[in-house]
Amino acid sequence: MKIGSTIQTKGAFLPASVAIVACALVLSSCSDKQASSPAPNASVRRDFGHGTFNPAPNSAPGDWTSQARDYANSRYSSLDQINTTNVSQLKTIWTFSDGAQYGHEGAPLVVGSTMYTVSPFPNRAYALDLTKPGAPAKWQFDPNPAPMAIGKACCDAVLRGWAIGDGKLIYNLLDAHTVAVDLKTGKEVWRTAMADVSRGVTMTMSAFVVGGKVYVGNSGGEMGVSGWISALDIHSGKQLWRAYSTGSDKDALIGPRFKPLYPQYRGKDLGLTSWPAGMAPQGTGAVWGFISYDPDLNLIYYGTSNPGPRVPAQRPGDNLWTSSVFARDADTGEAVWAYQFTPHDQWDYDGVNEMMLLDLPIGGRMRKTIVHFDRNTYAYVLDRQTGEVLKADNFAPQNWSAGFDWKTMRPKINPVKEPKVGGKVEHICPPDIGQKDWEPPSFSPRTGLIYVGIFNICMDLTDHKVSYIAGTPYDGMEMTRHSVDGKDGDWGAFLAWDPVAGKAAWRIPETFMVMSGTIVTAGDVVFYGTTDGWFKALNARNGKLLWQQKLSSGVIGQPITYLGPDGRQYVAVASGVGGAAMVQKGRPGMPARGSTLYVFSIDGAGVTAATGVAAPPTGASR
Amino acid sequence: MKTPAVVAIALTAGALGASASGWVVSHERSAPRDGVVSTNTGYQGPASVALGDIAGGAVPTGAIDLPNPYGDSSAAVADGKRLFTAMNCAGCHGYSGGGGMGPPLNDHYWRYGGAPAQIYKSIYEGRPKGMPAWGHALPADQLWKLTAFVSSLGGGVEPQDAVAALRGDGTGAAKEGITIPGEAARAANDE
Repeated sequence: MKIGSTIQTKGAFLPASVAIVACALVLSSCSDKQASSPAPNASVRRDFGHGTFNPAPNSAPGDWTSQARDYANSRYSSLDQINTTNVSQLKTIWTFSDGAQYGHEGAPLVVGSTMYTVSPFPNRAYALDLTKPGAPAKWQFDPNPAPMAIGKACCDAVLRGWAIGDGKLIYNLLDAHTVAVDLKTGKEVWRTAMADVSRGVTMTMSAFVVGGKVYVGNSGGEMGVSGWISALDIHSGKQLWRAYSTGSDKDALIGPRFKPLYPQYRGKDLGLTSWPAGMAPQGTGAVWGFISYDPDLNLIYYGTSNPGPRVPAQRPGDNLWTSSVFARDADTGEAVWAYQFTPHDQWDYDGVNEMMLLDLPIGGRMRKTIVHFDRNTYAYVLDRQTGEVLKADNFAPQNWSAGFDWKTMRPKINPVKEPKVGGKVEHICPPDIGQKDWEPPSFSPRTGLIYVGIFNICMDLTDHKVSYIAGTPYDGMEMTRHSVDGKDGDWGAFLAWDPVAGKAAWRIPETFMVMSGTIVTAGDVVFYGTTDGWFKALNARNGKLLWQQKLSSGVIGQPITYLGPDGRQYVAVASGVGGAAMVQKGRPGMPARGSTLYVFSIDGAGVTAATGVAAPPTGASR
Repeated sequence: MKTPAVVAIALTAGALGASASGWVVSHERSAPRDGVVSTNTGYQGPASVALGDIAGGAVPTGAIDLPNPYGDSSAAVADGKRLFTAMNCAGCHGYSGGGGMGPPLNDHYWRYGGAPAQIYKSIYEGRPKGMPAWGHALPADQLWKLTAFVSSLGGGVEPQDAVAALRGDGTGAAKEGITIPGEAARAANDE
C-alpha cells in the first residue's frame, strides 16, 4: 500500500482529507469487522479503519487523465474547492455538442489546459482549449469508421472512453480498429485493425494505458464472436499479445503461471472442454468493460462477457472462461488466476463490470481486494493476489439465485427462473443487463463507501434456438423488462455501499435507471446522473441531495472534476442517453437522445473574455 | 420448375428490365450458398441502391410499386416469420419487429421504403449500417416470404402507395386520416 507516501499534494489546494487518508493507512489494522457483522450506522461511521486504495499513477490532482482517474478504478478526486457547503451554487459555464446521436458513455479527459473528448460513432475526437472562454476546439479528428459497425453493435453505437499516454489520445473505433492521435496536432499516428467488423466484432470499451502498453478488448457478446483482450505497443500500435476468453489454453495464454485457487478451474484446455464440441470459437467472452491494474503485483484485471449463444440449452457446460474475471501479467498476458462469477450463464449476466482494487479490512486484517458489482447482483470481494472469494452479497433485488454456495464457490440456481426454449419465464430478476451494468462506481477513502448507480428491474424471457450465421446475432433471448415493483415502480436507485460490511449504508430510489458513472471528491460530494437527465450532487456521508440540474438528455456518461488553467475546480459530464438505458424507451418522461457535454463551476465562474487567462494555481503542475 | 420464386423473378424482370436495377436478376447469383451471409460491403453483385428511392432526384420507375407475388398470403407470412427467426433477423429487429440493434419494422418510418419491392431490395442487397445482403444466401421465394412477413408487421406500405410514400404521402398515419392532432380533433367534433 502506497497511498500515504504517494498521494500528491497541491499547495494551496491541499485538502484536510490527505491527513485523514494517512490516518486510514496507519490505523487500518484496527478495523476488524467480520463479513457477517451488521453494517455500522452511516451516521456514526468512523473516518478511519475502513478501506483505502493506491492512487497510482498519481496524475496531477487537477488533471483527469484516464477514465477511472487511477489504475485502481477509484474515481476519487482529492479536489475540494467544490464541497458540501457550496456545491448548491454550481452553474453551467459552457457546453459542447459533438452532434453524435448515440449513447455518450465516456469521461472527458483533462491534461493541463486541454480537454479531450471523443464522440460515439462516428468516433470523432476533439481537443478543447480550456484557456479560452467557451473552450473552443484546438483540433478535431475524424477517423471515418465503417458505418456497417452501427448494425453490428448490440447495444447502441457507443464508446465507453478513451485513454492518454505517450503524447497520444488512444481509443477504439466501433469498426474494430484502435487508433492513436497526436495530442498536440490531432493527426493520426497509428491505426491497428483488430478484427473483422463484418463478422460481428465491434469495439466499444475504453482503451487502457499502463506505461508503454495499450490494452483493448472486443465487443460482440450477442454476435457469437471470439472474445479477447490484446496488448498493443503504444509507440507503433503493433499487437504484442492476445488472450482469448474461450478455446485452448494456448489461445487463452494459460500456462505454468496459472494458479487458480479453486479446483474447478484446474485442468487442461477447460476453455474447450467446458463446451460442447466445436462451440468454443463462437463462445464470446468478449472484453468490453474497464480494466484495472495493480502496479505492485504487475497484474491487470478485467471481466469477460456472457457465453454465446445466449440460449443455455444449446451449450451445456460451465462455458469457461465466460462471465469471469482474469488476472493476467501486464507484460506477457499470461493468466495468473481466474474466477467465474456466473457458471453456464443462462441470463446474459456477463462478468464485464469493473474490478475496483481496494485495500479493505476483512476478517481482521487488511486484504488486497477486488470489489466487483456483478450484473448477477452479487457484490463480490475477492483477494486480488489469489482469486479467493472473501464476500458475496446481494446489492439489489434478485431471484435467479438462492444464495451463495460457499462449498462450490458459485451461486445456487433457483430452477424456477431458468429459461426455457419456446416457453416464457416471467419476472426474472435481474434482467439481462443486470441490476448494475458497466457504469462505474466510485470509492471514497474518507467515508469507506462505494457509490454506485443501479437498476431495479426484471424481465420476462422466452428463449429461441439460434444458428450461428457470421455477422448476425447469435442471441435467442426475447425479453421485456419491467420494474421490480410492478407497473408503476422505480427502475433505478443510487447506493452507498459499505464493502466491508457487505451492505448498503443508504439507498436513494430513482424513477429511471441510474446508468452513469459516479465520482466522489475530498469535498465529500458525490456526483451522478439519471437516465432521464438529472445530474445530481449528494453529501457523500449521508446521501442528502445538495444540488441538481436537468440536462438536455439522459446521463449515461462518466462525470469528472478538474482544475482549469485559472485554478478553479470544474465538474463535467456528458448528456446523451442511449445504450442499455434504451430499454426504457416509451416510458413517460424518457428523454430524447442528445450529444452535449456540460461543464459546471461555482456560480458559473470561469475563464471569460474580459478576464482572460488567470495564472496557474501555486503548486499545480501545468 | 415453376415455383413462385421463378414467377416472381419473371414478373420483376418484366416490369423493370434487367438494366433498371441489378437486384431483379437474383437467380443469376454467382456466390456459393455456403451459409455465411456476406455483409453489404462484401457484396460482389450488381449496383445496389437505385437513387430514386432515397435521393428524390430520379424519376421513380415501375420498380417500387411491384406487388409481392405472394400478396398478403397468410401461408407466406407464416413461412416468412419462421425465416425471420431462423436467419437471426429477429436478433436485430426484434421478435415482433419492434427493433433493437436494427430499426423497427412495425412502424411507419422507412429509411429505404416500406413497399414490398423496396423491402425485398433491402433484404437482397443489405444496407450500409450493418444489414447483411441476404441475396447471397436465400432464394427469391424465401426473400418474398420474408417480405410478406415484414409487410404484415404493421407499417407495410401498399405497392400502389409506394411512390406517394416517397414524398411522405399516402402512408402511415397520413393514410389513416390522422395527419395532425388538430384534424383528428376536428373530425371527432364533427361526429
